[in-house]
Amino acid sequence: MTKLLNEAIEKQVREALAGMKEPVQVLFFGSQQNCPACGDTRQLVEEVAALSDKISLAVHDVDADAALAAQYRVDKTPGLVIAAKDGDTVTDYGVRLSGIPAGHEFTTLIQDLLIVSGRDSGLGAATREFLKSLEKPVHLQVFVTPT
Amino acid sequence: MMAMESHLVQAEMVEATEFPELADRHHVSGVPQTTINDGAGHVVGAVPEPNLVAAILEALQ
Repeated sequence: MTKLLNEAIEKQVREALAGMKEPVQVLFFGSQQNCPACGDTRQLVEEVAALSDKISLAVHDVDADAALAAQYRVDKTPGLVIAAKDGDTVTDYGVRLSGIPAGHEFTTLIQDLLIVSGRDSGLGAATREFLKSLEKPVHLQVFVTPT
Repeated sequence: MMAMESHLVQAEMVEATEFPELADRHHVSGVPQTTINDGAGHVVGAVPEPNLVAAILEALQ
């Protein structure tokens, strides 16, 4: 199979991921139906996961693993969950990527891996205080395009 | 990265061209656009943290 990441990009990504602190669990959710981007997305995250021993990748199907998809509130494919992994414990921070993280969004994928790995949001003190005071669920959907 | 600070926050990056119906429903015309709680609030562009906090507060009213 032809690789999606060429050698130069692989080298760059490997260097970036060398900055990872703690292990990260990536959950990929694909579908056999109506998902033209699933194949490439799965291959892309497999290639990225191979560049750091701090990344564990689990591949799932939204239909075959419907209960798990519901648990992680994944309702789109391809869907990625970027979670923390400490031993056998996976901590879901609520970080999701829906659709292929290509182009500019490839950078987002790498940044998400680094930030979750660092276990620190990097947000300002006031923002952290506000978020701690929340009493109702907040679902943020950031619409982006690959270019 | 707000999702990391509260288990009540879920942050989802959505590739708009793959989910055009959802993008249309939220009238996405420029990116990035952030939709709060399925349309209770919107933020267009990459804004500073306090602006996003204000938009979330307003959407929760």
